[in-house]
Formats: sequence, structure tokens, C-alpha cells
Amino acid sequence: MDFLNFPTCTRRVQVPKLMLKVRNPQKMLHFFKSLKEEPIEAILFLCAFFSIIILFLMLFFIAKEGSQAFSTFGLDLIIGQRWETNENLFGAFPLIYGSIMVVAGALAIAIPWGVVTAIFIAEVLPFSIRDFIKSLIELLASIPSIIYGFIGVIYLAPQVASLFGISFGTVALTASLILAIMSVPTIIGVSGEIISAVPKEYKEAALALGATKWQTIKSVVIPIAKSGILASVMLGFGRAIGETVAVLMVAGNTAVMPTPPWNFLSPVYPLTAVIAMQMGEAAVGSLEYSALFGLGLILFILTFIVNTLADVIVKREPKIRGGKK
Amino acid sequence: MTTRTKETVLFTALGVPMVTCLLVFLWIVFVLSTGIGTLRWDLLTTSVLQGGIFEMIVGTVYLLLGAAGIAGPIGVLAAIYLVEYAPHGKLTRTIDQAINNLAGVPSIVIGLFGYTFFCRQLGLGISLAAGWLTLTLMMLPIVIRGTEEAIKMVPSAFKEAALALGTTKWKAISSMTVSSAAPGIITSVVLGMARVAGETAAILFTSCVLVTRGLPKSPFEPVMALAYNLFVQIVALGELPEKVFGVALVLFFIVIFFATAAIVLRIYYRRRQPWLR
Amino acid sequence: MAEVDIRKINVWFRTNHVLKDLSLRIKENAITAIMGPSGCGKTTLIRAINRMNEIISGSRTTGELYIDGINVYDENTNVYELRRKVGMVFQKPNPFPKSIFENVAFGLKIHKIANGKEIDEIVENSLKEAALWEEIKDRLNDSAFGLSGGQQQRLCIARALAVKPEIVLMDEPCSALDPTATAKIEALIRELSEKYTVIIVTHNLQQAARVSDFTAFLYMGQLVEYGDTKSVFENPKSELTEKYITGEFG
Repeated sequence: MDFLNFPTCTRRVQVPKLMLKVRNPQKMLHFFKSLKEEPIEAILFLCAFFSIIILFLMLFFIAKEGSQAFSTFGLDLIIGQRWETNENLFGAFPLIYGSIMVVAGALAIAIPWGVVTAIFIAEVLPFSIRDFIKSLIELLASIPSIIYGFIGVIYLAPQVASLFGISFGTVALTASLILAIMSVPTIIGVSGEIISAVPKEYKEAALALGATKWQTIKSVVIPIAKSGILASVMLGFGRAIGETVAVLMVAGNTAVMPTPPWNFLSPVYPLTAVIAMQMGEAAVGSLEYSALFGLGLILFILTFIVNTLADVIVKREPKIRGGKK
Repeated sequence: MTTRTKETVLFTALGVPMVTCLLVFLWIVFVLSTGIGTLRWDLLTTSVLQGGIFEMIVGTVYLLLGAAGIAGPIGVLAAIYLVEYAPHGKLTRTIDQAINNLAGVPSIVIGLFGYTFFCRQLGLGISLAAGWLTLTLMMLPIVIRGTEEAIKMVPSAFKEAALALGTTKWKAISSMTVSSAAPGIITSVVLGMARVAGETAAILFTSCVLVTRGLPKSPFEPVMALAYNLFVQIVALGELPEKVFGVALVLFFIVIFFATAAIVLRIYYRRRQPWLR
Repeated sequence: MAEVDIRKINVWFRTNHVLKDLSLRIKENAITAIMGPSGCGKTTLIRAINRMNEIISGSRTTGELYIDGINVYDENTNVYELRRKVGMVFQKPNPFPKSIFENVAFGLKIHKIANGKEIDEIVENSLKEAALWEEIKDRLNDSAFGLSGGQQQRLCIARALAVKPEIVLMDEPCSALDPTATAKIEALIRELSEKYTVIIVTHNLQQAARVSDFTAFLYMGQLVEYGDTKSVFENPKSELTEKYITGEFG
């Protein structure tokens, strides 16, 4: 293992399979030394590193299966307007639009609902019932999506149908409603944590100056919690766009562009629903099969970006603002 | 005093969304309860071939236990590394972010990966084993995060006392820290099981079929599951027979059971461990 | 400047009886030090003056407290106006995560005291009163966290002064600061007493002796002794006070 004896400057160090630019070779030296002392650390490290390995494997294999579709259609896989399985035509634009439409509708309801509830629970609710309410919301969050879908189908869709006088209630609106109910606990949970983490010194300072509770919340707590709330919204978006079963059961699943584009009473076919519905019939190795993996890749990359952004936002704002130099 | 009354009105208005949450919960319970008549004890214990749902329940339990059996150890070890061993640096931050990203991958994408990697690449086919591995991916972030928190809450004084007596770092951690954190770890595994019990998209094409002859005799056979069955019956077969309501209810109860167990465990252990805030 | 007349105040935090039948008359325009060992109720006492104990759940207060002849514990009192009239500076400086200007202007906006140009004037005057203006006058829009500990504390003082209080409460204002910053603040306190009634809680005997005109000694929630500082320190009437001053316990 010759590379353990290198000088202390920036050097390209060859590590099996990867070229790493090691900024501090001493650190790596120390790392391998400690591995010799406690071999168990290697096992622990591998378990932790496993997550990175899995993500890479995912990216690789999904891209691999989707490559056929991408080479056949190129960018048209994403912006093509027609998704006709029988004609081997796979343009996912209506599907992507369907996903975004349903999610946008859901978030429009869930964000104000969730953030206000989080503020209420963290700041207004008396201690005694706070834990009980939080547990209740946690239970809401654990209800599996298939149950939400089930309720959507037997109860919500018919209601929407009769309310708006359409024949079937499986439309974008119903999907948005169910998705909103499913997203709210996430938004409440994360926002609530952020809001509770606002140090009480700031609240005390404001109250001591004669501010009312609401003024304190508005002028001190919310500005501090702002970026955390934004992160919770992004996480909610990520969850919503990845939701499969519930939206599948109520969205209508027709690959059309709603006319006009804001018509929530039109059925839509979100990305996740397409994959779930068509994977069963797609022959392995066929173009359809590959196209579905292409959709999977789009979803993977989209949620990856959203989650990384949310992470970055939270890390940029230190939750506890230090006061002293 | 008008400021006071203004505040009261404002806060009452602010409370409306929260009350709506509770109403939604009640609504869900109400809608589900309309089908409670379809639940009969013999439904749960009769084989599917005779109109019951026994194999589905067992299949779901098999999936749960297997996933917990894999995700549990890996998750705990990973969390121990992250809290006790990991140096502050780019690699640790990347691992941390990777865990968050893994948690955010849509379940259908995990199902796709599970199919192409576990079922096809590793040759497991549509099987219980493939289901275990796929569901592990979903459970892992929950177990890791929960264990991390549990370990962080153990006062480092415990570990330091052990170290001062001359044990190795690993011995100190495994004997003191982990056993003190055990309640929190158990809670997070239970939470993971709640998440996975109702999971449909991940098992859709990795481990389940509509009907099997009896229970799987090896992990390499496919399995029946409540969530899968419910899904296929409603979506593919387009029917809403009474039996489907029963399936939904059993699934609901199983998930709520695990979720409530996690909450109860958390409260119980908090009382028993006086060093927790 | 206002006189504070505390009459038989009792404060409980759940079952913990912290202040027991405490009565005290605080002179206006003077600096009164409240001293005593840890846990004797000093902080609870000054927080009783601006009713800040109420924000802690499980707290209960009985008794009467008159400021300028009005009982602040009366049902009809506007507690927000009370807190404007009675300013508070905390042990650890807690400026808001906003700019220096926004910190001082905060109270003005909350109480709708001033607008536009007036706010600028008041902010400037308050910062001058707090002996901070010269140091930061060209970086008013910088974050308050860029200031040193001592400067942050003076900022908090300016913030409290901006709303024109009559009484200023200080809870161990220098305990988190270095000696130089402490000296600056002590000098500031002496200046402030010309316009305001200052009540300062301190753990530091020497500081109490240095800075205050009157001293109250608290022990286990009860008032043991109260008088002008010179007498309390040189000729304590109570044996307990003497023991505390000579350091037999603390």
C-alpha cells in the first residue's frame, strides 16, 4: 500500500476505481490507521456508505434501462405531446404536465393549510394538548396511500362528480384534493419543527418590549423560520410528485392535455401512475418498457434536485443564530 | 383590552386549519367504518382459495419482518458510524445528504430499481426476497435517522465513563450507548414497519402476485400482500366487492397498529429514561 | 421615572413557591440592586414588575404591584403598554437577527409610536443614549450579530430605550461580558439613572456596591434587607446579610 507514504500537499491519489483529489492526505492516513485499530469501523463505514452506493446503482440501472427510449426519441421523450402505447409513440409531455398540475393544485391547498396549522400548534396551542395533536397528525401521516386512494375512489370521486355534474369524478381536482390531504402532515411536521426551534430568547425580547403574541410570531418567529418553512414546502413537493397509488386511483389516467390547460375537471395521467399501470404489461426490453424507465429517470432526477435544494436551504440558515463573536 | 380580544379572534381563526385536520381524520375513520360490517373473523383465517384473506395477511407480515431484519442491522450500524465515528468532512456530509435523497426517492422508482436490479440482475425473480431488499431501501432512512436521534440523546457521560475504565471505543458504544438507545431504535424500526406495511408501489412488480397456492415455501417464491391485492382488485379488476373493503380495513388496522405502537413506545420510554428532556 | 411599590407579591411556578409575600418600595430615578444567592428569586422578582412571569406556563402570581399608583396586576391593565413603560435587558444579549437599525426600531413599529423620519431620529437618539452611536453610525444596516458581546448588550439597551420607558429592568446584564465591556455598561447605567428608574439584578457583590444607590438582599424568596447601598454593605442590619457579604455562603 504505497500511497500511505505521500507528502503533505495536494496530490492526485489513486484509490481503487475512483480518482480522488485528496486535499488533506494526512486525514486519509489517519483514517486508514484508525481502521487498523478498530476493524469494526470499516463495517460501520460500509453500512453508512451503502446509501451512496444504492443511489449510484439506482441512477445507473434506471438510466441503463431507459437508454433505449432516450436514444430512440431523444428529447421528444420529454416534450413529445403524444403518448400512445399501441403506436409505440412515447412523448411524455401530457404526463409531466398532469403530474405538475395535480401537485400544483395540491400544494396550493396544502401549503397555507399546513403552515398555518404548524404555527398554531407550535405557538398557540397549550402544552397539554400539543403532544396529543401532534400524535394525531403523525397518525394521519402514516395512513398508506392506498387507503387514501381507496377513500378517494369510493367517496371523494363520486362527490366531485355530483358536485360538478360530470360523469366520473376521477379527475385532476380529486387527485389534487387527496394529494393535499396527504401532503399536509409532512408540511406540518417539518415546519412545526423549524418553528419550535426558534430560540425563545428572541420571543422573550419581543414580548418584553410590549409586543403581542401575534406581533411576536409575525415579526420575529416567522422571519427566522422562513427558510425552514421553504424547505418543508420543497419536501412536500418532492413527496407529492412521487406519490403513485393514491393519484392513480382517482386521476382518471388518460394521457390527454387538459383543455383549457387549467381545467381541473379533466382527467390526467401523472408520471407515477403511468409507470404503475403499464409496467405490468410492458414486455421486458421493449420500447414501452424502456420508456417507462425513462419516466422513472425523470422522476428520480427531479426528486433528487428538489431534495438536495431543500437540504441546502436548511443548512444555509443556522437554526440557532449565535449571538456572540 | 381590545388588543386582547383582537388577538383571541385572530388566534381562533388561525386554529381553523388545525381543526380541519382533525375533521379530515374523523372523516377518514368514518368512511372506513362504513365497511366494518364486512370484517368477519373467518375472513382473516380462511385461505384465499376459499374466499378469505389469510395468505395476504401472512404475506404482508413476511414482507415486513424480512425488511426489518435487513434494514434494522444495517441502519443501526450506519447510524452508529455517523454519530460516533464519522469525521466532520465532505464525505460525511455527502453520506448524510445521500440518506435524505434516498428517503425522497418516489416509491415507484424504488420499485422500478428493485425490479431491474434485484429481480432481473440478481436473478431473484418476483419473490419475497426481492421484496425484502426493495422494502429495505424504503425503511433504511427511517431507521438510520431514528437511531441517530436515539444515540444523540444518550448522554455522552455514559460512554466516557466506560472509556475511562479502559474499554475500546466500540465496546463502550456497544455496551453503553446502544443499550441506552435501544428503546429509540426499536421505536424507529416499528415506525419503519408502519411505513412499509402499506407500501404498494415498491412491491407492485418486485414480489407480489394476485394468488398463490398456499404460503411461500422459500424466499424465492412470490407472495401475496394486502396492499397489492387491494390495488389490483380495484384498479385492474375494477371491482368493489365487499371483500375488498375488508382487505382495506385489515391493512388500515395493521398500519395504524404499528404507527400507534411507535408513538406509545416513544412516550413510554421517555418516562422511563429520566435523562431525556 | 416612576416609583415601584411592590406589595405582598407571591409567585408560584407550578408547586414551587418562589417569591413569598415580598414587599418593597423602589425609589424613582435611582439605581436599585437586587442581590442574593442563586435561586433566591431575584429574576422572578424583576420579571414580576413587567409581568413576564406570565409567559411561563404554570406560573401564578398574587399580590399587588403599583407603578405610579396604578396596580399592574389589575384585570384592566394593558400588559403591552406596561411592557413598553418597563424596559428589560436580559442576561445574555439577545438582539434580533435583523439589522442594528431594525432592532432599535422594532418597538417603535410594534407600538406604532412613530413614522418615517421620526423613527430615524428616535433610533439615533436611543443609540446615543446607550453610548453606541459613534461606534456603529455608519453601519446601521449591518446585521446585529456583527457586533461584539458588549456592543450587542448596548444595542439591547438602546432597543429598550427607544420606546421611552420609565423603568429599566436589567437581569445580570454584564454576566456574559468581559471586564472592559462591563465597565462601559456600568458607566452607562449610572448615566441612565438620571432619566430612568433602574433596577438591576446582580450576582456580583462588588458590582452592586459599585453601581447602585440602593440594595435589596433576597434569600429564599423573601426580602431580608433593603436600604441605601452604603449602609447595607458597611452596616448590615441582618446577620444573614453580613454572612452573604463576607462570603460565608453564596
